[in-house]
Amino acid sequence: MSEVVLSLEDVVAGYGRAAPVLRGLTVPVRAGEVVCLVGPNGAGKSTALKVASGLLAPRSGRVLLDGRDVTGLPPQRLLALGLAHVLQGHSVFREMTVAENVRLGGYTVRDQARLNARIEAVKELFPVVGERWGSMAGLLSGGQQKQVEFARALMLEPSVVLLDEPSMGLDPRNTQVVFDRIDLMRRTGVAVLLVEQNARRALEMADLGCVLDLGRVHISGPARELAADPRLGRLYLGGAPAS
Amino acid sequence: MHTVSRVLPLLLAALAIAYPWAVPNYYLVYAGALTVMYAAMSTSWNLLGGFTGYVSLGHSAFFGLGAYGTGLLVVRLGVPWAVALLVSALLVTVFAVGVGIAAVRVRGASFVIVSLALVSMMNLVVQGWRSLTGGSTGLQVPSPFPGLHRGQTHIVFFYLFLALLALALLSWWYVSRSRFGAGLRAIREDEDKAESLGVPTAAYKVAAFALSALFVALAGGLYALWFGSLDPIFVFSILIASFMVLMSLLGGVRHLYGPLLGALIVAPAGEYFLIALGETQIHLTATGLVLVLVVLFMPDGILARFTRRRAGPSIPDESAGQRLQGVTR
Repeated sequence: MSEVVLSLEDVVAGYGRAAPVLRGLTVPVRAGEVVCLVGPNGAGKSTALKVASGLLAPRSGRVLLDGRDVTGLPPQRLLALGLAHVLQGHSVFREMTVAENVRLGGYTVRDQARLNARIEAVKELFPVVGERWGSMAGLLSGGQQKQVEFARALMLEPSVVLLDEPSMGLDPRNTQVVFDRIDLMRRTGVAVLLVEQNARRALEMADLGCVLDLGRVHISGPARELAADPRLGRLYLGGAPAS
Repeated sequence: MHTVSRVLPLLLAALAIAYPWAVPNYYLVYAGALTVMYAAMSTSWNLLGGFTGYVSLGHSAFFGLGAYGTGLLVVRLGVPWAVALLVSALLVTVFAVGVGIAAVRVRGASFVIVSLALVSMMNLVVQGWRSLTGGSTGLQVPSPFPGLHRGQTHIVFFYLFLALLALALLSWWYVSRSRFGAGLRAIREDEDKAESLGVPTAAYKVAAFALSALFVALAGGLYALWFGSLDPIFVFSILIASFMVLMSLLGGVRHLYGPLLGALIVAPAGEYFLIALGETQIHLTATGLVLVLVVLFMPDGILARFTRRRAGPSIPDESAGQRLQGVTR
């Protein structure tokens, strides 16, 4: 079994003075694996990603990246350490070209040769990036924009990528493309922590599945087994957790 | 297209250089110098406004401080005019760094209000410090070219403002192609996202603010030397920055030549309204009306209408027929 590269340990987190959204969440993510968080709205899936990427400081608990405690570090520091976060919805810079978007992913890289090598690598992973290199990112289809976001996220060769609802708003065909690309990332050794409303589809391709309820993992296990678990439907539909 | 983009600047430069000798009287040289001054200032303003989306009305303060700084160095300390111009602009830039550190912490309407407050404060300081600045009676600055008559002075300052405009355009062009420029444009689109990608947003905004203040301060200094009479009510007027904003918006803030085009329309129009309507406030109403029309009908400016997007909307690679090939019911 590969080593754990990202670990959320007993994380309690919330917004302002409101009750915590995450109430003791523990999730390990291993290199070359896709871990999928599913659950009803308000279960804390996106909040878990925000804590992991430094967008939200936890009230207690720890975030470990490659064994190092990175709890509360800002997103740009975590990015430099190898953790990239692709936000929910379309987060390309719409009035900038695909080229400019991708280059922004490697903004902290000063070495031009390394930057060019990374550009070639992401173009190979996501051919549409090369095909639409000079196009305004805002003019691309939803699926293409998502691939540009993935390419941007991979510019710094992260060891972990956090994906928040990557198939949101996409038609089935583009959804398939997006899931294929996630699989491709996994095969290059990247660890992926995935939040997805399309639970069954995501669990079919993930390695580990975690069903969140009220801010903690209620059920977890091999993703394919979880996809067939009857409790999933009940939890995911918002009913009371099965005992 | 590439040929046009290379020939156009040369053609514009040749026309601009020939202008003072092609017009029939010195009044038109004066109007041309005023237009080029506003073009330089709005291009400078656009280094901040166009790249980052931060709308500053505080640039009137940098104009006024550049003017008074140059004037005071010449009048009180006897510094040669060229040295005074540069020292004053550098001091204003350092001041802008300090102001920028505080001002760019806020965004949107809050930033506009902070920048407005800066102009009012500077106006009060200059008016209140009578022993140094002459207060509300103003400051008289001797002409740097006493041997020239007024019309000839207009010609000299036309070229000085033209050089400043060239410098501002060159800076904008250079920034637009730089890593710094890409960071600034990312700030304009989504500051938080830009920061999460490692763009040093705070430092970049302050740098853009200060760079844009530098050229406006130089314009203010040249204005002081040109007009020779500084009135704090005019040089610290919100109207000056409003003109920079209007010219940039009208021409197009996303384009190198946008503010220049805006200045070529608004500044001569302002002069025309002054002549046609006299020294009344009606010309300001006309200016305000233009601003409203621009925001309503051309929010991206004139040049945006004429520049095509680099690529059209995405079209699926295959037709439905191609996709259904081999599929039987």
